[in-house]
Amino acid sequence: MLYLSGGHVCCPLSGRNAVTSVLVDGGKIVSVGEPAPQQATVVDCQGLVIAPGFVDLSCEMGDPGETWREGLAHGSRVAAAGGYTTVLISPNTVPTLDEPSRVADVVSRAGQAPAARIGVTGALTVDLSGAHLAEMGMLVEAGCMALGDGARPIADLLVLRRSLEYSARFGVPTFLRPGVPALEERGVIHEGLVAARVGLRGISPASEEIGVGQIVSLMVNTTGAVHLTHVTTARAARLVENAQQEGLCLTAAVPARHLLVTDALVETTAYDTAARLMPPLRPQHDQAALQQAVRAGVVMIGADHVPWTRVEKEMEFSDANPGAVGLESAFQAAYTALGDIGVVVSAMSVRPAAVLGRRAEVVPGAPADLVLLDLHAQGVLPRHRLSHGVNEPLVGLDVKGAVRATLVGGRPVHGMTAEGGLS
Amino acid sequence: MKRKDLLGLRGMSKAEITVILDTAKRFRSVNRRRVKKVPTLRGRTVVMAFFENSTRTKTSFELAAKRLSADTLSFSSSTSATKKGETLMDTARNLDAMVPDALIIRHPATGAPHLLARNFPWVVINAGDGINEHPTQGLLDMLTMRDHLGDLEGRRVAIVGDVYHSRVARSNIFGLQTMGAKVVVAGPGTMCPDSMAHLGVEVRHRIDDVVEDCDVVMMLRVQRERLGRAMMPSVREYARFYGLDLKRLQKSQPHALVMHPGPINRGVEMMPGVADGEQSVIMEQVTNGVAVRQALMYLLLGGVDSGGEG
Repeated sequence: MLYLSGGHVCCPLSGRNAVTSVLVDGGKIVSVGEPAPQQATVVDCQGLVIAPGFVDLSCEMGDPGETWREGLAHGSRVAAAGGYTTVLISPNTVPTLDEPSRVADVVSRAGQAPAARIGVTGALTVDLSGAHLAEMGMLVEAGCMALGDGARPIADLLVLRRSLEYSARFGVPTFLRPGVPALEERGVIHEGLVAARVGLRGISPASEEIGVGQIVSLMVNTTGAVHLTHVTTARAARLVENAQQEGLCLTAAVPARHLLVTDALVETTAYDTAARLMPPLRPQHDQAALQQAVRAGVVMIGADHVPWTRVEKEMEFSDANPGAVGLESAFQAAYTALGDIGVVVSAMSVRPAAVLGRRAEVVPGAPADLVLLDLHAQGVLPRHRLSHGVNEPLVGLDVKGAVRATLVGGRPVHGMTAEGGLS
Repeated sequence: MKRKDLLGLRGMSKAEITVILDTAKRFRSVNRRRVKKVPTLRGRTVVMAFFENSTRTKTSFELAAKRLSADTLSFSSSTSATKKGETLMDTARNLDAMVPDALIIRHPATGAPHLLARNFPWVVINAGDGINEHPTQGLLDMLTMRDHLGDLEGRRVAIVGDVYHSRVARSNIFGLQTMGAKVVVAGPGTMCPDSMAHLGVEVRHRIDDVVEDCDVVMMLRVQRERLGRAMMPSVREYARFYGLDLKRLQKSQPHALVMHPGPINRGVEMMPGVADGEQSVIMEQVTNGVAVRQALMYLLLGGVDSGGEG
């Protein structure tokens, strides 16, 4: 029994936004704003924010197949260190998560994750090749919480249409990265001023924007929920907003780092491969539009955690695998960029949880998946953190805020001893 | 020179460029002597690592190093690091173990020289990286222009062809702008998109729009292998709108220079008679190439003064 005493509870769903105390027992929140029972262990949360834990819908842990990149058990701790209490892994593993028995194995190992909870996204198409539909029904039976093809857009529009129609029957959301592969070929950064200056082949932002347009048009035939895992341009965000206003069940996420840094980073870091991302970092204009879209509730925030080790990143910019670590820096990136804790908690906890049909809130009866945040912390983002991935493009930047502790099912999994001592 | 490496002309100051060009001019006169070799880099090792085909640039660097008495070692590899199994960094670690003083690198990937420069103590000179920069070409082009036109301030230089994918164009654009010249570009929309204006250049649509008012017309090589990538319909269509022929050249100012980084596709970007005509300075570019590379190695490797440093 833990009594989180005197913290600032930030719970956008219930509207509670005040200094109070939270009692946790048996994996659940027992009461909010009641006095401490005698037998409770008191955790002094003065000066800290108590919020529902963060939820990420598409991260990679290289498990199965490339466990040196993170692995489920370690990845669970990495997630908790970033304040995440639930993360979904994408199916682009080796081999891919397109086979029910394989998924069942991963789901079972994920169930033993030591810290943050790990859910599994099953494939939409076999081998994520965008050609044949995967056995989606059986993948959901095996325990998948969503269906998607990871970071790979489906190029064949008929297959995309059928995927959307077929997946909608199984009660889980469909995850897509909007994009047109033909327009991305050979490109490595956003096509614009910086690409022209640094001499790297650009990826036209039209790829993502046309991708969103295609998905929105094809969604008209289905009633299923679709979540876009990566939306990073102003026009793409506007298309999402229009679709939401039309009443389509469409959600979208922007990687936290895209809210904090722009494609200029490729120039200032002289081709450091940590900034080789898909989708690429965008210019200021897109960044400002995405910040606004997050504030307006149109777009949520993802960690876009894609860890790579030195072996995969210490090379020529265009040859390096795209992606960056994100679970441990997402909160700091988001809070530094947006400066509004209510907006950040909505975008990192409440709305991603809602995609999974859950309520992320600090109310009696809710699961005690909580994060304690220090908003006054300030510092330079360090190079080495818990993740096995070395690819953190935000290294050395001044960031605000820090994750102090994470509780999953009432159990301290990061930053706090079992006796309730904050480290 | 204060810098360790030469990675590109982007960000290089006017003073630095001027020092390099002035030094190159001195080496050019040495190169006209009967005995061309000077002992400046005696005992120093210069490695030429060419991960992409090159004849002109490689021989030019090699000759430059030899005329400075450096020991040279060269290796070529046409396969990219990832395909070959050994990464660029591992190749470089092995080279490093042999304690070189400088590495001249040409590589198909943008930023490859920067990666090595950041990780190793020796001098790195970029001999062309991806579609990014070819700084020694930019320098030798500017030396050639300066010889004929004097101060480049206010001069107008046209670059025609596949500007977007040209490291020669990019180095010239950065260098010329720093020296105060105006750069005008022209080419098919697929190779010279209007968005090139981001770089501060003026984008014009056809070669006829640039020949009349420019002091220099620099023609870029057409890479025929691009045809299949929906970059242009045919060679003859390219020649029709972007090739430099004698008729077009007649409209140019009499003092205007015709330049080309080589190798020339005669009959494509340059019609017969133009490359060998009176306004062409293409062979001077080649001569200046050796001098510029000598100057760079001299300035970056410290010459005799630091010959004994650790």
